[in-house]
Amino acid sequence: CQCHRIININIFLTKYCKHAVQCLLLDNVMESRLLGLVEHIKEHALFLFTHRRMAITGNDVTLQEIIPISYDFSSFVCPCTILGADTRVRLTFFNEKMECKLPFGSQTRLFLSEVNRAWCGKKAPKFDWLTKYQKNSKGLGSVPPIATSVGKITKTGNGQGTVKGEGRNELVRSSRHTVSNKAQMLTMPQFGLRDNLIKCELLKNEEAYTYIQNFNFFLGTYNVNGQTPRESLRPWLSATPQPPDFYCVGFQELDLSKEAFFFNDTPKEQEWMKAVSEGLHPDAKYALVKLVRLVGIMLLFYVKKEHAKHISEVEAEAVGTGIMGRMGNKGAVAVRFQFHNSDLCVVNSHLAAHIEEYERRNQDYKDICSRMLFRQQDPTLPPLTILKHSIVLWLGDLNYRISELDVDYVKDLILKKDFETLHNYDQLKRQMDEETVFVGFMEGEIDFQPTYKYDTGSDYWDTSEKCRVPAWCDRILWRGKNIVQQYYQSHMTLRTSDHKPVSSLLEIGIKVVNEEAYKKTFEDIVRSLDKLENECIPSVSVSQSEFHFKDVKFMQHRSETLKLHNDGQVPCQFEFIQKLDEPAYCKPWLTANPAKGFLAQASIDIDLEVFVNRSTAPELNSGQQQLEDILVLHLERGKDYFISITGSYLPSCFGSSIHTLCQMREPIQEMPLEMIHRLVTSKRSQALDIPKEIWMMVDHLYRNASKQEDLFQQPGLRSEFEVIRDCLDTGTLDSLPGSNHSVAESLLLFLDALPDPVVPFSVYQECLDCSSNIGQCKKIISLLPQCHKNVFNYLTAFLRELLKNSAYNRLDVNILATIFSALLVRPSTKQDQMEKRKTREFFQHFLIQDSH
Amino acid sequence: MAKQYDVLFRLLLLGDSGVGKTCLLCRFTDNEFHPSHISTIGVDFKMKTLEIDGIKVRTQIWDTAGQERYQTITKQYYRRAQGIFLVYDITSERSFQHIMKWASDIDEYAPDRVQKVLVGNKSDEQEKRQVATEQGNKLAKAYGMDFFETSACTNHNITESFTRLAELVLQANKKDLEALRVSINDKLSLADLEEEERVCGSHDDVQKACWC
Repeated sequence: CQCHRIININIFLTKYCKHAVQCLLLDNVMESRLLGLVEHIKEHALFLFTHRRMAITGNDVTLQEIIPISYDFSSFVCPCTILGADTRVRLTFFNEKMECKLPFGSQTRLFLSEVNRAWCGKKAPKFDWLTKYQKNSKGLGSVPPIATSVGKITKTGNGQGTVKGEGRNELVRSSRHTVSNKAQMLTMPQFGLRDNLIKCELLKNEEAYTYIQNFNFFLGTYNVNGQTPRESLRPWLSATPQPPDFYCVGFQELDLSKEAFFFNDTPKEQEWMKAVSEGLHPDAKYALVKLVRLVGIMLLFYVKKEHAKHISEVEAEAVGTGIMGRMGNKGAVAVRFQFHNSDLCVVNSHLAAHIEEYERRNQDYKDICSRMLFRQQDPTLPPLTILKHSIVLWLGDLNYRISELDVDYVKDLILKKDFETLHNYDQLKRQMDEETVFVGFMEGEIDFQPTYKYDTGSDYWDTSEKCRVPAWCDRILWRGKNIVQQYYQSHMTLRTSDHKPVSSLLEIGIKVVNEEAYKKTFEDIVRSLDKLENECIPSVSVSQSEFHFKDVKFMQHRSETLKLHNDGQVPCQFEFIQKLDEPAYCKPWLTANPAKGFLAQASIDIDLEVFVNRSTAPELNSGQQQLEDILVLHLERGKDYFISITGSYLPSCFGSSIHTLCQMREPIQEMPLEMIHRLVTSKRSQALDIPKEIWMMVDHLYRNASKQEDLFQQPGLRSEFEVIRDCLDTGTLDSLPGSNHSVAESLLLFLDALPDPVVPFSVYQECLDCSSNIGQCKKIISLLPQCHKNVFNYLTAFLRELLKNSAYNRLDVNILATIFSALLVRPSTKQDQMEKRKTREFFQHFLIQDSH
Repeated sequence: MAKQYDVLFRLLLLGDSGVGKTCLLCRFTDNEFHPSHISTIGVDFKMKTLEIDGIKVRTQIWDTAGQERYQTITKQYYRRAQGIFLVYDITSERSFQHIMKWASDIDEYAPDRVQKVLVGNKSDEQEKRQVATEQGNKLAKAYGMDFFETSACTNHNITESFTRLAELVLQANKKDLEALRVSINDKLSLADLEEEERVCGSHDDVQKACWC
């Protein structure tokens, strides 16, 4: 807005002047200046203008100085004692120093942040573009030679301490950048939630740590009719023997000039502020916390020095309700603040004039209430309205008149001091009684004569043509608990205006914090929240944390149930998680079903299944591995539980090596475990030509199943396999039980489970390479270790024998080669189709050789 | 009103089974004591808010299974801790001897900057004492740790020892925390920073680059 004043100086400037503020230069005398931030090709400079009062055109302002924002520039925001007071800024450029005072508020904040941003973005300074302005500049400023050194940098954020030094400052600023990114990443909703919970709880328990202490608030309102102060305001402001704690002084019609109206700038502001400052009670020291003005409506807010530190969150706002419903000739200004633990809002309003316009005044009140919005410290919270405050003090020229009575009767009642009768005709009283305006507000009894309208400079009623009916235009109302009015009066001796000033002293009970009790309450809340949070950590109880699987056998399915019961207060997600350096959450012979899931309230059964197959059997047989594992059951955002699984495995010929089995005359389970483990690694000569288990199965089939239809193609029974396995492992029966198909399948399973196949992995590739060459194939077999060669020859002889009965058993070379090559000649890894064909070709040589 | 929370730390309780780790935690967070011993089978944790130097510190305290067979698994929790309590039982010489082993595991698996405090628990059972206070002191000194004899039963030195460890962690991380506090001046979690750190790379130089 002030920016517009620079309009005519130069088009260039309007184009590049980003922000402007009016400030007071704190030199020897206080002088008003306009300060503009000008940008051109990413370089910035501050332009300082002197100006006439009510500057309107370019002729009214004069460029005084240009301060390039270069390395030699610094701005220092002085820490302010009272939040909401004017901001003092010290500008330094080389050796020149300048101190100025910027009005408190969002515009100054914005301006300073823009200056700061300009400073942060400074480049190697050239500032050529400034030379043409320097000619116009009358002041001290001429752009000094290009500075290259890094100058001193001093900066504070909001008066919270100073950071000095060059490198350090760079560090801080750059950290600021990365950290704000980090802050976004760190957004943890539960943190915010917790803060809010604490705030809520503190508010709920406020009575526990606050007590009520009374403070005296002086409230005054004075419509000065555009006059300048000509008499002392002491009779109005200092009528009490004791100095009040606060002063809330409101003026209306401070300046009736067009300039004030259009540019919201008036010299009267300073004049009346000075008059008030001089009129304050002499027995105490006061600090001006806030001055807020909208055209002619001004509110001054002073506090006794010793209370200043208990004031916080000061915000000021203005709402115009004049012409077009927006302009500032009518409306209100307000200050809100926190004092100790109470929140207060003081409003000074000037409502619509004229006797018949009371509904317009009601409307103004409503507009002010709805449009006066105070920014909150936490930007995520919605703005505060006037009526959200627990204490509202409302003063001003409310302009409500006395109606239905003629002027002489009114004056007669006043003469008789029958204010009670008169008050019944007061529009404000009537409107409040009807609850159309100021609902919930109180006003003290009016025991003074109307304050409007007098002949200026006298105590005589208006003698002008209009001869207005006297009225109580100037009023003081309040809303809130613990407020007692000490007095409510007008001040007849002041004669500057056509109104008389009104004052009231309110004794207000303020919630003051007992630090000790507050600390205790706070700690209690934190403790109970910790407790709540701990109770809300997901938790389950497990039916058992140790499981033992006794005597697990090869290919035997075993299962136990782990019951999870949600004993926490929240639903939870569970999962068995991987341990460090392990490929899966459990050993390959174990599965948990389900391995993860969601547990709302009740319980869930998890099956822990143990199954030893051909890939896990060898190491268990040889004793290199035990049935031992610990599962880690993890609850999301919660605890971990360890579930121990142990078991004993009964060694089996299934999954044992040909080599080992050839050393065992006894059934495997009749041998001590240590003996088995020793045999695995021994190089001892073999006791048997082939494992007796192979002989038992093959011999059984040779004698009973040579003519069995679909041998090796029809599956056996699972239960019969188990008996056959036990029979082989324990030697309890002389002949194998079960059907031919079950024995045949057992043989296949046996071959499949061999840790090293009959044709060992080591020669697999060779077999593929010479699969078409009979001689080579035979040579490979002839070079196998003795026991492997024996088994191979034994099996092929048996298969050739079976082929002789192909009329009965319907087997042919192709079928047998396909089945047996896959078991006898297999790789340790996966096999493709081509390899499969070659192994079959390899094996076929041994089946057809003698058959013709 | 001042901001409520500034940092989050993870603290870990280590020591032989039965030295009273769970009881220490229970006493500290809930001010409760249950004399019967139920082995912790797994890893449990509780939250507690402390105020240190005007900073609200939220601590997440992890209670681990002490039994030997779980030790290979519990080791994987070390690397997430900023502070560790090494706990023994003053009535068990054996648990005191094992502190050396626990300490060497920490050296191997915990972060370099981890802060440690030695705690001799069950100080109320004087008649059964097997480890003299002086022995504890000496060991702590040798390792450069602070030492407390505590009793979860009588609530002796509980708050003191937990607060001390939190202080040490705060000091050790002060520089980094301050750099962050200056700018975001509210919530941040050291634990989360470390997660992030790992993303950035675990190198010291890289750390600096992305923290400051």
